[in-house]
Amino acid sequence: MPSHSITLNGKPVTFEADPAMPLLWVLRERLSSTGTKYGCGVGSCGACTVLRDGAPVRSCQVTSAEANGHAFTTIEGLARGATLHPVQLAWLDEDVAQCGYCQPAAILTAVALLKTHADPIDAEVDDAFAGFVCRCGSYPRMRRAIRRAAQAAVSK
Amino acid sequence: MSATATLSRREVLKLAAFAGAAVILEATPAGRIRRVFAAEAAPATAGFRGKWVAIAPDGRVTIVVARGEMGQGVRTTLPMILAEEMDCDWKDVTVFTPSPGPDYRNMRTSGSWSVGGGYEPYRRIGATVRDLLVRAAAARWNVPAGECTTEPGVVVHAATKRRLGYGALAGSLATLALTDKPVLKDPARFRIIGKPMKRVDGRAIVTGTAGYGADVRVPQMKFASVERGANLGATPAHVDDAAARAVPGVERVVTVPSGVAVIARDSWSAQRGREALKVEWTPGPNAAFDSRAFLRELTEASREPGWEARAAGDADAAIASAPKKLEAVYEYAFQAHAPLEPMNATAHVHDGGCELWLGTQAANQVQEAVAKRLGLDAGAVTIHCQLMGGGFGRRLGVDMALEAAEVSRAIGGPVQVLWSRSDDLRYGYFQPGSVHRMAGALDATGKVVAWKHTMAGVPHSAFSEPTFGVDLARDLMWGGFDNPYVYANLRVGHVTRKPPVPTGPWRAVHYPPGVLARECFMDELAAAAGRDPIAFRIAMLAPSTEPTAPRLASVLKLAAEKSGWGGALPAGRARGVAANVYDGDTVLAQVAEVSVSADRTVRVHRLTCVVDCGTVVNPLGAAGQVESAVVFGLTAALKGEITFANGLAEQSSYFDYPVLAMGETPEIDVHFVPSAAPPCGLGEQCVSPVAAAVNNAVSTAIGRRVRRSPVRAVDLG
Repeated sequence: MPSHSITLNGKPVTFEADPAMPLLWVLRERLSSTGTKYGCGVGSCGACTVLRDGAPVRSCQVTSAEANGHAFTTIEGLARGATLHPVQLAWLDEDVAQCGYCQPAAILTAVALLKTHADPIDAEVDDAFAGFVCRCGSYPRMRRAIRRAAQAAVSK
Repeated sequence: MSATATLSRREVLKLAAFAGAAVILEATPAGRIRRVFAAEAAPATAGFRGKWVAIAPDGRVTIVVARGEMGQGVRTTLPMILAEEMDCDWKDVTVFTPSPGPDYRNMRTSGSWSVGGGYEPYRRIGATVRDLLVRAAAARWNVPAGECTTEPGVVVHAATKRRLGYGALAGSLATLALTDKPVLKDPARFRIIGKPMKRVDGRAIVTGTAGYGADVRVPQMKFASVERGANLGATPAHVDDAAARAVPGVERVVTVPSGVAVIARDSWSAQRGREALKVEWTPGPNAAFDSRAFLRELTEASREPGWEARAAGDADAAIASAPKKLEAVYEYAFQAHAPLEPMNATAHVHDGGCELWLGTQAANQVQEAVAKRLGLDAGAVTIHCQLMGGGFGRRLGVDMALEAAEVSRAIGGPVQVLWSRSDDLRYGYFQPGSVHRMAGALDATGKVVAWKHTMAGVPHSAFSEPTFGVDLARDLMWGGFDNPYVYANLRVGHVTRKPPVPTGPWRAVHYPPGVLARECFMDELAAAAGRDPIAFRIAMLAPSTEPTAPRLASVLKLAAEKSGWGGALPAGRARGVAANVYDGDTVLAQVAEVSVSADRTVRVHRLTCVVDCGTVVNPLGAAGQVESAVVFGLTAALKGEITFANGLAEQSSYFDYPVLAMGETPEIDVHFVPSAAPPCGLGEQCVSPVAAAVNNAVSTAIGRRVRRSPVRAVDLG
């Protein structure tokens, strides 16, 4: 099996896998990193979202070959030890989650959005979450958390 | 509770759900509390361990929640109730979900009844433990117990300024007898109940460490994917697995009752192995099932009288002689649960026993079903309950557990069977479609004199073979049988057809279709009478015969006020109302504000939801449940449906069975009616009127009745 090398949450990782094996399964079942979730495997829900070089991608649609050489951030890499990322804190402040299964992906999507749009308007938030599924309907709270995180950054 | 003198079947089930908790703490004759926690979850060996509460010497309080957590917040709400009466410091509380067994016999999580049924028992348990703590401190201080009080986590003797933390007292509790008259707090003094509390699993969720069934990993575990057939119930006649076994990573292929299982070292290899299988299938019994044809059959069937579920006066005669009559036929399509975490279970069948790890709403049923299938005593089957990535009624099924047990038994080792998204959409059970034939009549003054509601539909088949008859008809006519409005002449009937595909409970179960037909036809009658839809409804309530009538009138009035009903709207927008009494308990009214674009897209701008659900234990979690139910209801009202062709659902992912997107989500205004009544249900209740409110608003917007759910572009003309 060929080797592939990525940076995962700041650390270099090399793994062996079929070049076609999606990164989602490498993370979940080879690298013991189950924070990234399987919702559909075909790109229809976004539950598998990770950041590749800072931009959100659906890891079920990124093969090991395509992943090779890139830097990835998963939900496990957001906090600094016990210190949560501001978006994670905003998510807790607004009590966003219901079942929570989509929330790692939602948080990463929000992190990426706020990097490029420090104070996003509703339409920009909608665009960032186009095709993103939260079956429990926590969208109103996701919006409030994003607004809160944006305001917290501005007031720093 | 409902007005009927005898308990309905559901009421009996609700009361039974907490029969275990009524025993509170099981004391032996010596007054010692039995230890029932699993060793790995137990606090230090000193301290106090009861069936529902444990207190560690360091003051940590562990509260047991014998329910499945699927996002409805039960792991937060139930501990809040106990912690209140025990007078805990909330920061000292952790939550433990046990395995089902003789100590936890009622873990079934359905009917939105965990908080309603758990309120009194959890209060009594908390008060009982508080009483033990007070008496233990009083004994240690040699003062009367009546002179002691508690502050969060501490017993206090004000007169001598002495204080002892619960942790310090924990070791002294086991020798004390339990009081059989626990004193409950005056709600005016609640510190926790009624306050907005963050979900206990929040930090685990946002850091990706929350444990769902699909995340379970046990040593030596394999992963499996099951190929299930071209139509529901198909069985493999011939399996050519040579190519499948040649896929790298695939280790074995075995046939199990639910299909052909490919076992591999990872899920992706298992799925690829599945794609390489060549299977000849013997078609299932419903291989020709087509849902479009079925709904047309139901439309015809709804002309029959069916089983008479409820009647008053003579509706047919009243309609025949009335000056103004209306008829309408409403169609409600099949739906799926589609929780984001697909069905899965991890099983390890080994010498004389079985361990299972899964998220489930029916832990005891899983234990019993797996034991029966494997020929074991229930005590030899251990279920480790995980969080659920969504339930909505689908995780009441035991099918995923049985399947994993079968695969594990076949390979002789631990395995996780993870369903694909298309498996999850196609091979479970469904919310059934139905057709509702409505008829009504007005007298010369515009007063409603007759109402007929005939539903043509199917019973649930996923868990048992239903017995057709009047009782079943009544049970299927939620929203029709318990119509809260009063008519001089009424007939409610059900034409029951055999289910063509597995059907089972979905969020709000039989209410959404019944309420759709009822609340939309009420709007049609209101329009025929030239009356405002809200005033029309209120005028048809009879407080003297229906105890919930005053509450329903209140929520309708408040919904009118909060939504700006009757006030000016931007051009192209319209409002629609729908209300419901959910099983005689929770009462709610919703107003949807919509617009319909030229390209026939419905946009919901705002949805106002007024709920009377008794005491709101956690306003933060409760508002979340309302928002959640509204989005769930809007998805079914607007976004998609399950259609069947050749015995199989045609949808396979969120591409063709879409969920409401963030950009499509309206402003959701939630209002709880202040109430001191005990809590009643909230997990699914607010789904029930959503489709009707939307259809009523859309109908007003386009000036034509829309009698279909979900609303498709073709229904908008």
